[in-house]
Amino acid sequence: MELRTLLKHIGLICIAIAMTLPFLWMLGSSIKPHSEIEELSLVPRNPQPENYGIVLRQSPDPYTGKYLDLNFPKWYFNSVFIATWVTVLQVLTSSMAAYAFARLQWPGRDKVFLLYLGTMMIPGIVTMLPNYQIMVQLGLVNTYQGLIIPTAFSAFGTFMLRQFMLGIPRSFDEAAEIDGANHLQTFLEVILPMAKPGIIALSILTFLGNFQSFFWPLVMVKDDAMRTLPIGLLSFQGQYGQQTELIMAATVMNVVPLIFLFIAMQKQLISGIQLGGVKG
Amino acid sequence: MTSPATLRRNTYIALLFLLPNLLGFLVFTFGPIIISLAGSFTTWSLRPSVALRFIGIQNYTDLFSDPNFYFYLYNTLYMLLGLPIGIAGSLGLAVFLSQKLDLKNPLAGKRIALVAAIFSAVVSGFLFFIGMGSTAFLFFALGMITAAGIYFGSIGYRTFFYLPNFTAGAGTILLWMQLYNPNFGLINQTIDAFNQLTGLSITQPGWLTSTKSLLGFLPFPDFFNNGGFGLGAREAIMIMGIWASIGGNNMILYLAGISNIPPELYEASDIDGANAWQRFRYITFPQLAPTTFFIVVMGIIGGLQGGFEQARLMTEGGPAGVTTTLSYYIYVQGFERLDLGYGAAVAWVLFIIIMGVTLINWHYGKNSSGE
Repeated sequence: MELRTLLKHIGLICIAIAMTLPFLWMLGSSIKPHSEIEELSLVPRNPQPENYGIVLRQSPDPYTGKYLDLNFPKWYFNSVFIATWVTVLQVLTSSMAAYAFARLQWPGRDKVFLLYLGTMMIPGIVTMLPNYQIMVQLGLVNTYQGLIIPTAFSAFGTFMLRQFMLGIPRSFDEAAEIDGANHLQTFLEVILPMAKPGIIALSILTFLGNFQSFFWPLVMVKDDAMRTLPIGLLSFQGQYGQQTELIMAATVMNVVPLIFLFIAMQKQLISGIQLGGVKG
Repeated sequence: MTSPATLRRNTYIALLFLLPNLLGFLVFTFGPIIISLAGSFTTWSLRPSVALRFIGIQNYTDLFSDPNFYFYLYNTLYMLLGLPIGIAGSLGLAVFLSQKLDLKNPLAGKRIALVAAIFSAVVSGFLFFIGMGSTAFLFFALGMITAAGIYFGSIGYRTFFYLPNFTAGAGTILLWMQLYNPNFGLINQTIDAFNQLTGLSITQPGWLTSTKSLLGFLPFPDFFNNGGFGLGAREAIMIMGIWASIGGNNMILYLAGISNIPPELYEASDIDGANAWQRFRYITFPQLAPTTFFIVVMGIIGGLQGGFEQARLMTEGGPAGVTTTLSYYIYVQGFERLDLGYGAAVAWVLFIIIMGVTLINWHYGKNSSGE
């Protein structure tokens, strides 16, 4: 029996290696000098960690002798800034709406909810084209508002939190009502704390989704100062695509913080996904 | 029963709670759906020179008489073929992870993990010192993964399997683009090294630069730009997709599903002397049918809308259009040719396809999953 358990471990270790190998190669390539990029090796003979400084424009690219024409820190800031705002707004509006759908009785509630659910089936790209036109009309193209506001309302988040709130026993609201709490107090002090696992999972998914979001920023961003990280990486790829080592250094700076975020939050995220039966 | 007065009061309160979300929903989701449907019957364009006028079903008739549309629809459907492989892989990993992974003696596990970590650190340090950096790095990673796996068990492995899903985005797409480089990418270099080592001559696929496909032996019409049988750009994107999703949310849902299977079922099968395959075939798989149904439906809905980021970042829809999916086609029509009306028409056709496939799934899935 012991041998069989060990064999299972060996199988799983092989799969884990296969899954992590691209990341290992990425780490190795990110510190290669340009002359070694075509060699089959994970670690360069002459490591060049300055690649990170080159991408961050702390030093010129030794290959061309010039500073790179890109603003990586600004892209990073934009991505974090936009994703944070969208997450805060989405969790706020979704949890309020979920309270109305899950804890309050009012005529037409289920019909409105069905309308929400129905729109979730329509491909996002259907609404992207008119939303862009709306942003053009409002003059919000290439602004933070334009990148944040249209994505701040989510039928998916409402749905997910409603499922969570439905699971909270009625007796909690009733107890709060007997204590003389109004709906705002019940929402803030009773329901929200109890829906915390759902809110945390939704926050991680929303932050991640918007940090990595590609389509909307791609059409909304018109100049370098507004670029988010994924859009910046696209332009980086277009301009310096031949310099694998720099692309990989930039990719490491995109991916590695996410790896730490995942390791820190995985328990909450995984239980949230399992509880909500959710696709991220 | 609630009195009418309370009910009315409740409605106002509910409306207050709902208002921010509902407002956003109406302006940015519901409204745009109507606009895009209406717009698909017009000359709607981002070019100021084009006047907006109603043209009936012109966009739709143009679309259906455009051979490219069928080509891109085919690409979209072809790339869905990665889905069953990915789902089967997720199921396999979940089954594997839910097996008993603890050693009988809990201390032995901790000792093995510690020894693996120290041993790999020492050996890789030595290898690094004598100039074998790459081997050292690989050996070190192997040791650490072994230590984490044996120490943390299934949670440790789950972390490694889930990472590609969590980090998926522009960064990992660019990473794979480098791995697929036909000349110096990791994959073709490994094939080359393998050939030199064994004296074989396995052809290095052209990956993202190739129009070959695994169905390339079929007699496709000319406008499908078929490059013959082999591994091409579409397979490259599919393999990347499988890597990114196999240990992701589907595996997590399967893990949850497996942990909900009543243990009595397995106990009964042990008494009947069932082997591992029979346990899977007659207990695990049927018990997971609702989970599989959900995953397949969501996978198809997502897959039919997919391929945009990959096309935009890796291939610009090429070579010769083989990686252009319908969602990328909508983007090109709407935002590169600025023809929003035509783009909206494609988007609505895509929606009808998704809707149709989902309804078919629902109809047949309900019967087979016993929901």
